[in-house]
Amino acid sequence: MNDRHATMEELLALRDGEGSEWCREHQASCAACSAELFRLEQLRARLKALPAFVPPRDLWAGIAAQAKRERRSRWLRAATGIAAALVLTGLTAVALRPKPVDTATGQATLDRAMARSQALEQTLKALGPEQQSLNGDAARVVAELEDRLSRIDAQLGQPGVWSGQGGAADLWQERAGVLGALVDVHTTRAAMAGL
Amino acid sequence: MADTIPLAEARSLIARAKAGDAGALEHLYRAYEGGVYTLARRLTKTAEDAEDVLQETFLEVCRSLGSWRGDGSLWGWVRTITASKALMRYRREKVREADELDETAGAGTRAEDVPLRLDLESAMSRLPERSRAVVWLHDVEGYTHEEIAELMGMTTSFSKSQLARAHQKMRAWLGEGAME
Repeated sequence: MNDRHATMEELLALRDGEGSEWCREHQASCAACSAELFRLEQLRARLKALPAFVPPRDLWAGIAAQAKRERRSRWLRAATGIAAALVLTGLTAVALRPKPVDTATGQATLDRAMARSQALEQTLKALGPEQQSLNGDAARVVAELEDRLSRIDAQLGQPGVWSGQGGAADLWQERAGVLGALVDVHTTRAAMAGL
Repeated sequence: MADTIPLAEARSLIARAKAGDAGALEHLYRAYEGGVYTLARRLTKTAEDAEDVLQETFLEVCRSLGSWRGDGSLWGWVRTITASKALMRYRREKVREADELDETAGAGTRAEDVPLRLDLESAMSRLPERSRAVVWLHDVEGYTHEEIAELMGMTTSFSKSQLARAHQKMRAWLGEGAME
């Protein structure tokens, strides 16, 4: 026979409907444990009846502003990722495209690539990229694109490195692709800044 | 606190909020700010801590709108985020879980300074944070010991023993005697 009283943990389990058979039987015949179980039930009711608190200040304006900033930042990261993917696709297409078959076609390709590159350069200038503040991801992509642009310009200044119209056209097309990506990034950034 | 937003309305609000409707988000905030703040006050040390939890909770709600499955209480979802944010503060502040109740409760207070009888609010506030959280989450909010253990990153046994020891202490502080 177990003649001890139930422990607090055992009585709490019983209160919560999970007590042992021994505890259930014991409290039914033990006035002290029965009273303690009743006290625990009453205490839980008193806890639930404690008054609610009211926030001392209205925090919504600050929360809404922060949530908007976070949402904008998530969109910009997504847009930057898309722009980077477009650049990669464009550059891959340039690298894999077939070589021009004759001089006239090669010259026409070169002229088109140069014209497109110059037009994109004007568009980029009009966007005023140096006046835009960029977050970490966008700034990193822009820095990589600008590095690439510098390398292409250096190669274009050294005709010995590439050969003939085909080589020049490839470089000008790659240059146009990088400029297009820069325009995409800055256009997206400008659109997001308006949100 | 009972959920004040019916399920159909909750689904509609979340859909609008996901589409960028700031009014829907504000509606959610107004409906739940009192419940979130009250729970945060019960689980943290100060009113300032509770305000931080209120802010962190709603920012998390804004970030995680897509993770509410729409098949259960929206308040239940928000409440769990609140509890998680409040309990995360313990981990950040590196509160030791061992023997919390063996320490003298209340900073700078000696055992003999305890008045003979406290009211329930004072007794609750004397409990160490983690013990108070277990009492509140279990006895008032209805969380099971398994759920509390998961929220706190502790074991079920820890939750049960914290609850029992907290009740022993409160029994004495409330002037209701100690169990034999």
